[in-house]
Amino acid sequence: MDQMTLNVRTAVVRVDGLSRRYGATRALDQVDLTLERGITGLLGPNGAGKTTLLSILATVSEPDAGRVSAFGLDPRDAAERVEIRRRLGYLPQELGYHRHFTVAAFLDYVAILKEITDRRRRAEEVARVLAAVGLEDRARSRIRALSGGMRQRLGIAQALLGSPDLLILDEPTAGLDPEQRLRFRELLSGLPGDPVTVLSTHQADDIAAICPQVVVLLQGQVHFAGTPSELAATAAGRAWAAGERDDRAHLSWRGGDNRWRHIGDHPPAGAELVSPTVEDGYLMLSHAAGGR
Amino acid sequence: MTATGGGPALPAAGTAALADGHAPASLIARSRDVRLRTVLGLARVEAPLLARSLLALAGLIAGGAVVWVLIATMQPLWWSAGWRIGAGQLILGMTVLAAAQLAAGRARRDSMTDLYASFPATAGTRTLGYLVGLAGAVPASLVLLGAGAVVVQARGAIGSPSVTVLAAGVVLVIAAGAVGIAIGTRFAHPLAGVIGALLMFLPEATSHLSSGAGLWLVPWDILQNQLGNLPGPLAGYPPAGGHLLELAGVALLAGVVALAMTVRGAWARGGLAVAGVVAVPVIAFAAVAQLSPVPTTELNHLVTEIADPASVQHCTTANDVRYCLYPGFGRDLLSLEAPVDGVLARVPARPGQALTVGQIVAPQDITNEYLFYGHSQQQVTRWNAQIMREPASVPSASAFYLSVGRWPAGGGRLADAHFNVALTAAEWAVRLLSPDTLPTEQPCVPVDQAREPIAIWLAILATHPPASGLQNDGGMTAVEVHNTLVPTWTNAGGPVGQINGSAPQLTDAGYLLAKAMTSLPEQKVSQVLRGTWATWLNEHTTDARLAAALGIRMPSVPKPSLAGPGPGQPGLKTVGQPGPQSPVCTS
Repeated sequence: MDQMTLNVRTAVVRVDGLSRRYGATRALDQVDLTLERGITGLLGPNGAGKTTLLSILATVSEPDAGRVSAFGLDPRDAAERVEIRRRLGYLPQELGYHRHFTVAAFLDYVAILKEITDRRRRAEEVARVLAAVGLEDRARSRIRALSGGMRQRLGIAQALLGSPDLLILDEPTAGLDPEQRLRFRELLSGLPGDPVTVLSTHQADDIAAICPQVVVLLQGQVHFAGTPSELAATAAGRAWAAGERDDRAHLSWRGGDNRWRHIGDHPPAGAELVSPTVEDGYLMLSHAAGGR
Repeated sequence: MTATGGGPALPAAGTAALADGHAPASLIARSRDVRLRTVLGLARVEAPLLARSLLALAGLIAGGAVVWVLIATMQPLWWSAGWRIGAGQLILGMTVLAAAQLAAGRARRDSMTDLYASFPATAGTRTLGYLVGLAGAVPASLVLLGAGAVVVQARGAIGSPSVTVLAAGVVLVIAAGAVGIAIGTRFAHPLAGVIGALLMFLPEATSHLSSGAGLWLVPWDILQNQLGNLPGPLAGYPPAGGHLLELAGVALLAGVVALAMTVRGAWARGGLAVAGVVAVPVIAFAAVAQLSPVPTTELNHLVTEIADPASVQHCTTANDVRYCLYPGFGRDLLSLEAPVDGVLARVPARPGQALTVGQIVAPQDITNEYLFYGHSQQQVTRWNAQIMREPASVPSASAFYLSVGRWPAGGGRLADAHFNVALTAAEWAVRLLSPDTLPTEQPCVPVDQAREPIAIWLAILATHPPASGLQNDGGMTAVEVHNTLVPTWTNAGGPVGQINGSAPQLTDAGYLLAKAMTSLPEQKVSQVLRGTWATWLNEHTTDARLAAALGIRMPSVPKPSLAGPGPGQPGLKTVGQPGPQSPVCTS
């Protein structure tokens, strides 16, 4: 699946033949994608190239080959790159903070860097995103006093400043507790303006819950692009439930009901065929690509 | 949704012109106005952060302390005080440099470079914001300047402040901040700012190694000693305008360097190159201006003021005493009159020759290396010869002189200075000022002469100095007179006021007897003195006779001890070391 594209209703971001190497390591290899308005989940194991792809989409780094276009703008051109950034919200995977800033002061500072220069509008924006991530009561707290989860929400809040058209979130749910994850899903689902949202995650259930589109990136290449149900369908007829472990399965694990779930081509003895999940589909793809 | 072969997606309403791959001009039109507002917005955040930073606050306090120490020890002469206030700005500048470096390196230090790189505000815009945000250091600089000015004024300032010198101090702080930003854009580690601040101070710490006018090229020369000894401002010395220009050039160049490291656009880089090309010659021109010699006409005028003060000084006669002061120093008159009048009021009869109290510039306070830099050796020799003819170089029994800039503005040092003036006036009254002894020679010693304790007693009653200023050193110092060690006395307050004249070296015996005299009613002592005043002035009238006339016992004088450092004054020595013989005072 070298050249996979989402056939979309509104393609806004297009990636053509994108490649990026770090020394001998090929992080991205001829990636083609078009992204539409709405949420696209990016799944892949560690080292698959997700963060590299997102940082290129965020105009933070440049590809060795290939091109990106967002809103018809080419980030290789300085002026157009700035214009893309004016429409961008980005949460890097590893984000430090100015820990001596207060939460509100930090967001205000980021808002200025996002060229929201009107003070009143900036204050409104800060209040809006703080409420969106549930940190309104911590506005005056120093960032160093926040828990890891709160800092992650603050990172999401800064990405939402200015109601970006292109929202790139690299593992936004890392560090969030279950309730916060649910609130995050609610937040993303209700974003005004239906922005192009790309989020990378290891949480397949997050993808299944909120992403109409999903891309699986393995070893720097796009191995799947489609809906979550289509991804789940790739494991159709190959997900089983049984009372015993079967060594022929690609993957086996005991579930909460004390039964073994198997992903593989051969049904174990006495096994019962079950409906595949997004996770099953992802695991099948990963296995097929030699990722496991 | 199906996977396809990577064909182009269709543009749709509400989405920019995606299909042709080009953005409409309206999208990419980058508003300068937006960028300017972003810079100002950043500056509005950075400026208060800088103003409230602990580093800037520490710099303000430390700079204030430096200014206080430098001003408190000097006569408040504006032509010197302005530079001393600037020394505080140097300290503030060092901390502002460190704070600015921290701000400029903040994103990298806090692992936020990726996020910052995704913002429309470019690194160049941010750097410009930091640079404009240096305005946050200006209030601290102005507070330092204002507080220093208030202190100088409150202590009775002489002269008027130089706006150029004071402004140069503020520009120094801004230039230091710009250097800090230039460092921070390249080196994010806090240590880089600390090293930068120390390097900023290094030229000052080694300025004593520089020769000639090179002194003025360092960020700020703290001590400026010589200035405080001049009788007025000297045009072109120090070269304040050149230094202001140098600092402004450094600020510009540092800003250019900071921006050059962050700006990407060809036009912007071209503009920076032009700014850099402007800054370097400005600095060079300023350096040349500072290295230029002080104009000959100015130095001629100064040397005349020093060698022949009468040509410029204003003289006033009060209570038959003549006071001659340089223009602007008139407010010192009352401070001088009080102790002199206090003595004269108790003296039964004055010497025939009236007393003159004047001001001089002591030749030893003039440092050729800096003042006469760039002039021919012949000219310098001529000037030096003139300077050596200043009035205090001639022995006089009826005059003494105060060095310019040494008169304290207040506090305990002023009390000491008052006592010293009173003591010298009393020495004149009892004819102890020698017409035969050059001030540079060994002073005479009034060994066992009654007029010595009388002079000390007169000075004590005229000024009532604190007891701490009148202690004797218990025989630690002595002079040799006729091969006999005589314990000497110098008031513990020291030579405050820097009085130049042919004054004698006083003895412990005289001091102790004077102290005993103060235990008697003043009226009783005055009565004894008034009756036979001429007798008491005779050099052969002994301490014992005075004690007997007053009905008090002669105090015992401590024997010279065998340890202790010598005070380093002519004729004085540490006991036990060989020294020259001192003459006995004669009438």
